[in-house]
Amino acid sequence: MNKSVFRPFLLALLASTTLLSACKDDNEDPTPDEDNEQITTVTYTLTPTGGGTPVLVQYRDLDGDGGTAPTIGTLTLAANTTYTGTLALQDETKTPAENTTAEIQEKADEHLFFFETSGTNLTITPTDKDKNNLAVGLTTQAVTGAANATGTTGTLKITLRHQPGSKNGTFAPGSTDVEVNFPTVVR
Amino acid sequence: MLFRAPGHSWSRLTRWLPGVALLCALPLGQLAAQSVAPGGCALLLSGRVQDHESRGALAGATVVVLETQQATQTEPDGHYHLDLCPGTYHVQVSFVGFTSETVEVRLAGAVLRDFQLHPDAIALKGALVEGQHVNAPTPQATASLSGQALRQTRGQALGEALQKISGVTAIQTGPSIFKPMIHGLHSNRVTILNNGVRQEGQQWGQEHGPEIDPFIASELTVVKGAASVRYGSDAIGGVVLVQPKALHDSAGTGAELNLVGMSNNGLGAASGTVEGNLRRLPALSWRVQGTAKRAGTMRAPGYYLRNSGFEEADFSAAVGWRKPGYGLEVFYSQFNTKLGILPAAHAESPTDLYAAIARRRPLETSGFSYAINRAYQHISHDLLKATGFVRTGTAGKLTATLGQQTDYRDEYDLYSARNADRAARNRPALSYSNRTTTGELLWEHRPLGGFTGSIGVAGTYQFNRYADGTRGFIPFYNNTIAGAFAIERWTRNRWQLEAGLRADYRILETRRGTRDTLGVYYVERREFTYVTPAASLGAIFDATPHLSLSLTTSLTQRAPAANERFSDGVHNAQYELGYDLVPGNGALGPETAYHTGLTASWHDNPRLNGELTLYQTTIDGYIYQRPILPPVINIRGTLVSWQYLRTNAVLRGLDLAATYRLASQWEVGGKASVVRGRDTQEDEWLFFMPADRAELSVRYAVPEQPTTRLTSRYVQLGSYAVARQTRVPADYAAKDYALPPAGYVLLGLEAGATVHWGRLPLNVSLAGSNLLNQRYRDYLNRYRYFADEMGRNVTLRVQVPFELSPRR
Repeated sequence: MNKSVFRPFLLALLASTTLLSACKDDNEDPTPDEDNEQITTVTYTLTPTGGGTPVLVQYRDLDGDGGTAPTIGTLTLAANTTYTGTLALQDETKTPAENTTAEIQEKADEHLFFFETSGTNLTITPTDKDKNNLAVGLTTQAVTGAANATGTTGTLKITLRHQPGSKNGTFAPGSTDVEVNFPTVVR
Repeated sequence: MLFRAPGHSWSRLTRWLPGVALLCALPLGQLAAQSVAPGGCALLLSGRVQDHESRGALAGATVVVLETQQATQTEPDGHYHLDLCPGTYHVQVSFVGFTSETVEVRLAGAVLRDFQLHPDAIALKGALVEGQHVNAPTPQATASLSGQALRQTRGQALGEALQKISGVTAIQTGPSIFKPMIHGLHSNRVTILNNGVRQEGQQWGQEHGPEIDPFIASELTVVKGAASVRYGSDAIGGVVLVQPKALHDSAGTGAELNLVGMSNNGLGAASGTVEGNLRRLPALSWRVQGTAKRAGTMRAPGYYLRNSGFEEADFSAAVGWRKPGYGLEVFYSQFNTKLGILPAAHAESPTDLYAAIARRRPLETSGFSYAINRAYQHISHDLLKATGFVRTGTAGKLTATLGQQTDYRDEYDLYSARNADRAARNRPALSYSNRTTTGELLWEHRPLGGFTGSIGVAGTYQFNRYADGTRGFIPFYNNTIAGAFAIERWTRNRWQLEAGLRADYRILETRRGTRDTLGVYYVERREFTYVTPAASLGAIFDATPHLSLSLTTSLTQRAPAANERFSDGVHNAQYELGYDLVPGNGALGPETAYHTGLTASWHDNPRLNGELTLYQTTIDGYIYQRPILPPVINIRGTLVSWQYLRTNAVLRGLDLAATYRLASQWEVGGKASVVRGRDTQEDEWLFFMPADRAELSVRYAVPEQPTTRLTSRYVQLGSYAVARQTRVPADYAAKDYALPPAGYVLLGLEAGATVHWGRLPLNVSLAGSNLLNQRYRDYLNRYRYFADEMGRNVTLRVQVPFELSPRR
């Protein structure tokens, strides 16, 4: 039989399996998740329309999910005042920090912010529109009413809905990319 | 090169699809009767023919080799001998007053085959219960699916098919992902051997099914309960063996074609095998096999589950060189699948998750489609195996097995990246690869007195990583394991005793990328070593020719896996944290399992046959996940935080499978399984234990009529009942998103026959499941929070074996 032909062939096959295990990348270290899109920082800046010092509140979680808890600021506004609000979103795990606001602006027809307040006299209305004339919410008008009762604090919940191909002005379609709660008080 | 960077393209699946088409289009014209080489060979087939009842020798019984028409009669002491060529034969044994028996015998060397004939009074038929009593001489409860029982699962995923075996359930994710669970234990605690090689993939996800094409197997065997001495210290829950047929060892070429179609999700599957043995080179055998499967949107009663389609393409090839004194076999297989994920089940924010759970049906349903959109998983698995044996003369047999496998898992999120550059790159959010090399050297010594046994050494080297730039969830790790074991068995009369010992030495090195409080990235390196022992003691006692009792006890220590220690991140809107990362926890140690199982099997009875297994597994330092307060706040809201903890647990249960022959053509079958899992430290029930379940079926076999083209006709009516899981931890509503769903009863009907089409015997069956189109949800299905299970489904299965002409 053709034994002489088959023996080297089979030996080579056997040998190849043992060689395969030695790979040089086994001692590599993991690298930062550059392709992982995340948002670490949400900054809401409110400038009184009548002039004055802008008020700023921030959610910031530099180490990403888990680990150290995020730092969440408190929003303190003056009573019976109208503000112009702007939202800024960033990914500070990237170097330099990534400007998520610009990406949202570019795809405004896929994004919608919601502003819900409770326990405080604050009403927030988006003032910007996408190409389909639907609200976006990167710029807003915020109007405060009477001050909070002493010792009470309300909340402002800002939600970003990501709705590619399904945005219709309502909350339901798509998924939530941002949901942050700021303690809010009107003084 | 077998190890590529993860994030590879899907195109390699489509590239070889034409190959499958070719395989399926094998011309029927090539069919011819298989010719058997003429006599003159001298492989000895011998044995003894006995009365099954009295165990007395049957003198003068006739033994006929059907293929060659060689015949002989047994000697006064019941012995017979025949000289044959290597090959597979059907041997018929008959004796007046006894039922004739025909068995398949595969000859590669001398074969000893004893026969035990039954008195003629009542013909015995194969049991209806699919999980049949396996005569494997192991004290552990073992059940397997083969032959018709396996054919009845064709087209299903591996984990789905295994559920036919009592005591085996699955953690399910929709219609495509089934992770096997044995006696309430799963993932890291269940070892799967794919053609003799430990399957190594990404065990950490509940929605990660085994990456194996079940069409490879001619037999699926489940060892229930710890089998750690032989299969490694992870096998606390049990072992699944996916076993292909032995390679063709008689000259000629054979083929088999399986076709499956399902009405509910439009599943179509085709699997073909061609195998042969060269006439001029009888030592050389080969086989190629391929499977293509595609399913569209699954239909629950009243709506379609959007994006629930999946596709799969697999192939394998084997070549073997076999001589009486030595043999070598090389096997390669590749598994590729793409699985759509229900959008509701891919929620990344708790608000979305709760909204999806609150809905009676998913917000986004769809029409029927084969398209798979985001979110989806794309998995592939390569395995190259080489095994060889040498008969060491009088000393026994030495077998070496080497395996090299690589598992790739890419998970794509629901939406592509916001950033245009990133969206254009279209990379998966999670992209893992795992490369594992395994080796085993086993020496089986020749029988010495009543003793048989083996000793072996086994080694594993594993490297797990994720692709650069993707999200880390499980760290990079290197796992090096060296183990040694010995199993010895003593057989005398009606007793068999078995004892085994094993020790494993394991080094786990992890490299975890993380960020400090200022967001600065760094890599944390850790190294751990473990020595884990395993020991087992078992006995089998054949109380009567119809009743066997077996008892097994074992101790196993299992070292924790990397995911149990270092999971870190958000997966499906839940934050998961490994044990070592919980502040104040320290390093996680091994868990120790004490298993006891008692099996009673009554077999070869004219009417009632069955098997009952009772078991208890106590696990000290049981590693498990549970939600922990306070929740974790991230940018998407407040997340439930699942952490790995350790406690002490005890799992008890029973499996029952029995058949009863009502009349000559009627048989009733029943199966039941019960698992009770307690956390003995907290004194409460364990999470996610399978609910009690039972199955009842009636089968009618149509009497054979010699003139008809239809044989082996049967009709089977069955019902499957699962109770509501009420044994859950206290205050469960605060610990899970939804209470366990109500129990359910499903009705199924199946009919089948062998259709003789010319010389071709076609095995055809039609099976309907969930015939009443009931809405129901199952506690162990991860989609239960969002959607109902599959509605009515009718499956058509055709299996065609071919005998092709031998090569000249």
